[in-house]
Amino acid sequence: MTDEPIEALIARIAGQDRAAFRALYAQAAPKLVGVLMRMLGDRSEMEDALQEVFIRIWQRAAQFDPGRGQGMSWLIAIARNHALDLLRARASRPRTSDSAPDETDPLERLADPGPGVESELVARADMRRVIDCFGTLEPARASAVKAAYLGGLSYQELAERHGVPVNTMRTWLRRSLLRLKECLAQ
Amino acid sequence: MTDPDRPETLPPHSPDDLLAAEFVLGTLDPDVRRAASRRAEVDGAFAALIRDWEARLAPLNAGYAPQDPPEALLPQIEARLFGRDGTAQPPARRAGRLRGWLFGGASAALVAALALLAVLVWLPPQPPLPADLRGELRAEADALIFEARWNASAGVLDVARLSGPDAAEGQDYELWVIDDSGVPRSLGLLREAATRITAPLAEGMTLAISLEPAGGSPDPVPSGPVLAAAPLMSAAAASEG
Repeated sequence: MTDEPIEALIARIAGQDRAAFRALYAQAAPKLVGVLMRMLGDRSEMEDALQEVFIRIWQRAAQFDPGRGQGMSWLIAIARNHALDLLRARASRPRTSDSAPDETDPLERLADPGPGVESELVARADMRRVIDCFGTLEPARASAVKAAYLGGLSYQELAERHGVPVNTMRTWLRRSLLRLKECLAQ
Repeated sequence: MTDPDRPETLPPHSPDDLLAAEFVLGTLDPDVRRAASRRAEVDGAFAALIRDWEARLAPLNAGYAPQDPPEALLPQIEARLFGRDGTAQPPARRAGRLRGWLFGGASAALVAALALLAVLVWLPPQPPLPADLRGELRAEADALIFEARWNASAGVLDVARLSGPDAAEGQDYELWVIDDSGVPRSLGLLREAATRITAPLAEGMTLAISLEPAGGSPDPVPSGPVLAAAPLMSAAAASEG
């Protein structure tokens, strides 16, 4: 049985289709659990967050515009935004997640299309360009961008990890983002 | 640029674009992040910058390894959305309250506003924009009148405030759609005189505008008073009258 495309399920959910909602949960929950566990690092927090994320998906399905991007990317953006709100509200509580620097480089996982790599997330050509553009950054900076994005680390946490002042880290990341944009536009 | 202790200068850039980039990366301080999030709800150009950055960085999502979800969670989510037995129509108590406001006549002013709407919606549309469905939302207080026009082929809803003031300092107008399920869904904030929203709608759905704290309802349903509500009706039928 072929899974119905995520975009089609979201469109049905916008029409209040509960069966589509269950089907979307079956397809997307594992990935969203991966997002929330990586960012929050705590199973019970992840469970509360996952409930909230699926409630938002139900409520906002009508706002999804398939012309503007992939369904899975839209779902992950909702999960990341919620996790980031929670992380930033945590004040100075020590985090348990992502305490170790990137053991697995997501871009290496992209470059090696083995099992577990979701090739449907982005078109192959887009992946290739992103890998190439990250390759133009200094390794420490590329690693900081990935840790910020994937783990939700703050400037403070990244500065401590890399042993640089916070302002330096802020400049590293801003410069890297602008360079990525420039590179991807070529 | 190899000296990590020496500050670097940034190349020329748009401050909004960089703000959107840092919002998506997730590194903004909490207050800046909240402000950016609220702005994205009402500022379509800024929201588009955020979407562009989400698309640019989306390949990194491959770095999230899927994990088994907790088994009991889906029933819990469904219970929160749809009620315990899964068949109850109002999924949340507050949604039920909104239904009461809209259709039960909780407020005399609202009943009067709805009675007025039934007439107004039959007036011919004023500007010659193509609209398949339209609704006019009028509140008694402050002579607040909104007109909503939906273009089916574009899937676009244009909401114009024809008269009445901006929401007071610290408050926002928020637009909702309610279909047969009775569950209100937010379509966003109405801060400008004209707002364009992409949304799949259909004839017979009801649009409602509530007065909310700045940034919109903290709940998934209206938290403040419903100022106006109107059904979406065929524009052709409306202009014949």
